[in-house]
Amino acid sequence: MTAFVTLAGVYNTPVLTGERSREQDLMTSRALEQFLASVEKRAFKIAQLGLRNDDDALDAVQDAMMKLVQSYASRASEEWRPLFYRILTNRIRDLQRRRTVRGRVMAWLPIREGEDDEEFDPIAQAPSPEANPARRLEIDEAIGALEAALRDLPPRQQQAFLLRNFEGLDVSETAGAMGCSEGSVKTHYFRALESLRARLGEVI
Amino acid sequence: MSQEPTEFEKRSRALLEESNGRLDGRIQSRLTRAHHAALDQSQKPARAPWWRWSVPAGAAAAAVLAVVIWVGHPPVVEAPLKSVDDFELLTDADAPDFVDDGEDVEFYEWAAGEMES
Repeated sequence: MTAFVTLAGVYNTPVLTGERSREQDLMTSRALEQFLASVEKRAFKIAQLGLRNDDDALDAVQDAMMKLVQSYASRASEEWRPLFYRILTNRIRDLQRRRTVRGRVMAWLPIREGEDDEEFDPIAQAPSPEANPARRLEIDEAIGALEAALRDLPPRQQQAFLLRNFEGLDVSETAGAMGCSEGSVKTHYFRALESLRARLGEVI
Repeated sequence: MSQEPTEFEKRSRALLEESNGRLDGRIQSRLTRAHHAALDQSQKPARAPWWRWSVPAGAAAAAVLAVVIWVGHPPVVEAPLKSVDDFELLTDADAPDFVDDGEDVEFYEWAAGEMES
């Protein structure tokens, strides 16, 4: 944002209202692009852990981005992060509920194994040459254990942990994103931490 | 976070960051497309709210309806009586009954022709 404030300061000469408006739109658009680029990976990881499905997670992230741009682009940029995560957590919750209902209705159908299997991508699956194999294996195991433990957390604890610890929101912003009180955030976070520590204390 | 994060919190965060850094190209590409799609949407002109166009549309529909009703049932305009003589003729009890005496129509046509000549 600093770059845009500086850019705005350069234009000291009077400009027509239309030009100023276009300039403002351009600045907002650039700021939004930077913001979305900065949150997209973390947002995907949060959605992926909550939904356990890459495609659903991508849809949730895209919906949240669309909604933010459509409805809140004119808000101050400091408000975008908690608003974006508020939209995303609501979307994840909607999809979780829909999936629960669909699961109840479709419970009698046989499970089709491998339906969502992705095509094998040798480049994506190739090991990185940077870390040594033993160290890499250790990290892989730790990541796998952590993500499995996170997936097993109750949704609100999972959200509180990811928003606070991973995304780095403070208690107030997390409460805004989760639509609950700061006290609830602290409780959910504390319980999540205790649960993860009890399960992973030896592993990570 | 207000308190200094514990070792466990730091470690779990580092692992999540590491996992995030390993997102495959397909996911990364779709995320980039998603945020560009969101931004493209903001460039498009906003659609006018429904009530902006519903009022003129309603007025136009009402006008069309009024025209249809008027054309279907044109107002009945009664022809004014040409003169007081015509009025007296019609109300005169002794006047010949033009409607009922259909058989005398030829006589009246001949009489009218004689008077004109």
